[in-house]
Amino acid sequence: MRFQGVPFINDILRYDSLSIVGLEKNTGKTECLKYVLDRLPVQTKRIAVTSIGIDGETVDQVTRTQKPEIVLREGMYFGTSEAHYRQRRLVSELIDVSDENTSLGRVVTAKALTGGKILLSGPSSASGLRRWMQEMHRFDIDLVVIDGALSRMSSASPAVSQSMILATGAAYSANIATLVSKTAHVVDLINLDLTSQGNIARLMPLEKGLWFIDKDGALNNLDSMTSLSRDIRFDGMENCETLYVAGALVDGFLEKVRKNKSLKQVELVVRDFTKIFVTPQQFRLFIKAGGRIRVLQKSKLIAVTVNPTSPSGYVLDSDILCAKLSEAIGLPVYDLLKNKPCN
Amino acid sequence: MQLKNVIESPCGIRYMLDQLELQSGFARRWLLDSPMMTGEGEIATSYDVLRRFDTFVGQADKTRLDTLLFKLQGLKDIRTTIKNLQNHATLDDIELFEVKHLAILATDVSRLLHEQGMDAVVEIPALDEVITILDPDGMKIATFYIYDSYCAQLKDLRNMMRKHPEQQDDLLLQANELEEGVRQDLSKQLHPFATAISQAQIALARIDVNLAKAMQMRQMGLTFPVLSQDGTTAYKAMFHPQVKEALATRGREFQPVDIAFGGHPTLITGANMGGKTVVLKTLTLCQLLFQFGFGIPAASAQIAVKDEIHFCIGDEQSVEKGLSSFAAEMKNIDAVIKASRENKKLLALIDEPARTTNPTEGAALVTALLQVLAGRDMNLVMTTHYDIEPGDARCLRVKGFENGTMDYQLVEVQDGEVPHEALNIAQSLGIDNEWITTARTLLEDSNRQQ
Repeated sequence: MRFQGVPFINDILRYDSLSIVGLEKNTGKTECLKYVLDRLPVQTKRIAVTSIGIDGETVDQVTRTQKPEIVLREGMYFGTSEAHYRQRRLVSELIDVSDENTSLGRVVTAKALTGGKILLSGPSSASGLRRWMQEMHRFDIDLVVIDGALSRMSSASPAVSQSMILATGAAYSANIATLVSKTAHVVDLINLDLTSQGNIARLMPLEKGLWFIDKDGALNNLDSMTSLSRDIRFDGMENCETLYVAGALVDGFLEKVRKNKSLKQVELVVRDFTKIFVTPQQFRLFIKAGGRIRVLQKSKLIAVTVNPTSPSGYVLDSDILCAKLSEAIGLPVYDLLKNKPCN
Repeated sequence: MQLKNVIESPCGIRYMLDQLELQSGFARRWLLDSPMMTGEGEIATSYDVLRRFDTFVGQADKTRLDTLLFKLQGLKDIRTTIKNLQNHATLDDIELFEVKHLAILATDVSRLLHEQGMDAVVEIPALDEVITILDPDGMKIATFYIYDSYCAQLKDLRNMMRKHPEQQDDLLLQANELEEGVRQDLSKQLHPFATAISQAQIALARIDVNLAKAMQMRQMGLTFPVLSQDGTTAYKAMFHPQVKEALATRGREFQPVDIAFGGHPTLITGANMGGKTVVLKTLTLCQLLFQFGFGIPAASAQIAVKDEIHFCIGDEQSVEKGLSSFAAEMKNIDAVIKASRENKKLLALIDEPARTTNPTEGAALVTALLQVLAGRDMNLVMTTHYDIEPGDARCLRVKGFENGTMDYQLVEVQDGEVPHEALNIAQSLGIDNEWITTARTLLEDSNRQQ
């Protein structure tokens, strides 16, 4: 699949927030961010960039590689820590000093008056990020781009950002078939359908516990607090139509629901895909047995990008990888390095 | 003593603070650090100011009030920056931004209050010169960088950067040096204003706090107190907001209490569950609220200023620290007796002293305490279950259990005789019948023997 033009930039602009997450280190998340930032129409849109999950050092403690600096264009807004702001390599105008604290000081927001490099380190939690994004409304920001955390999906939660780009690659698995199937699993979760509007309205305020709605539409609380509880019982739930897990959905629970005869027709609802921690095997078994999983909130997966090179130097065939993955997930897949426009 | 030292007091003052709708974290910190007022003059002045804000909150149109509240949300704690400025340090961009932000905020709030005829209520120093220094282009917006207009050379360098991004690193290095020169110069110019900036920050916190107190008065139905001239403290329809709220959520109503006390010790007796402890809690709360300048939860209040307020209640925290409940209590009351010798104006509120020991010694301890403290210049309110000789203490009694409901009003009685209603109340709670009946038989036997 050859890459032509920059198709997904226009998709991005339809949402007010974009989160870029990598499934593993070295899957090309930073390249993807650079790629997007280089192409967003900064003259006509107010774009703000921040990050989540970079806590501290400029040298990555795991891989010992230098943390990347982000190149901003004139006119872009950015949120970073005080410490990284002082190290900026561009001219910028401060517009806000927030109360969000990170290990590198408070999060400050500024507008780039020249292009140049900065280190990004935004709010350190998803809730902090949400508060910061709220603040951005004051400055009429059209789009917030979030450099998401590696292998932590919280920044891509639909509660934080409306849309997302997923970066995957040989670092996640060096075997094309495994890589495709593991990535497809994540994509399946992201693309889970929304439950009914009625369910959304009723279940959204419930932030913890297990709940079910029976055939008469009555909402009941199950005593066991989370789906992690070992001795979970589904007594008296023959009339259950919808089973809502407010917290994390895990393998053991999914298996119990699948094996319970009285729950054959049940619709299992979770808050959003970031709350699902089940293995591809259990997930497939559940779906095969006719199970349905729905979500209360969903973010738009705009694109999947791949980096066919693993940190050990092993390189997968980019064209085959893109084609296979695209076929498995039914979405365009881009190898941004290979397909970099030759200008 | 600062507000933060009494915040965990069992009287429940934390609830009042939690319910206070402050706009900024700095105002909360400033309030917690504020000392308890012990001078009549300062208390009167603080209520004069609060009264002005109360009128303002009552009369100002919603939009204006909301604008002011929204502005105050921008108040930040920049004490470190101010200290740096005072110490002749060179401020960095973030610190200069903070100063500019505060100066513009202070000017905006000043203007808003001026429009409402509130200028003289809280003095905000004028910071126009600070704004002029940090806003060379007269943009009047609270953003900051080392503007081109500070330095012509800087402007040229930045234009070059835009034209030749490949030389950016070199040009930035040169620009950084020029910027640092500008920062040094700005910091020098700002240094003389450090005190005014600090005063402005505190003035904004005071405005935030007074607005929040005024709004709380309306929400909770609090009243302005009158300073007592004769040393008597008196409340009409006094209530405890937190207990009232807790009862309301259970569909029940708080019964307000009238109470007055002065030179003579006051002894409160009454049945169990008669609200004696709540009375003491509320008295403590009211006294603290008064000396920290809050609205008072009562229909009317006349309060005498005190140097020290002692609330002695079976103290769970000391028990957690490993002191026995008796030891903890004795130490608390000991502090009251020691303080009473130091010629200070005291208010002591003591809940059922010596309740955890045997009734013979307990009654002796309580009677002795009453005798020891009676001659001292202090206000003492004490509850007890013991039958004791009241001396010249005034005795109040909770009306108590009548027709199956509890009447929490306090009535004056001639002696300190305690009501014997424990068994009836326990029965009404549905406590095991065998236990209560056996107790009743034992009581009757001992009465007969006497």
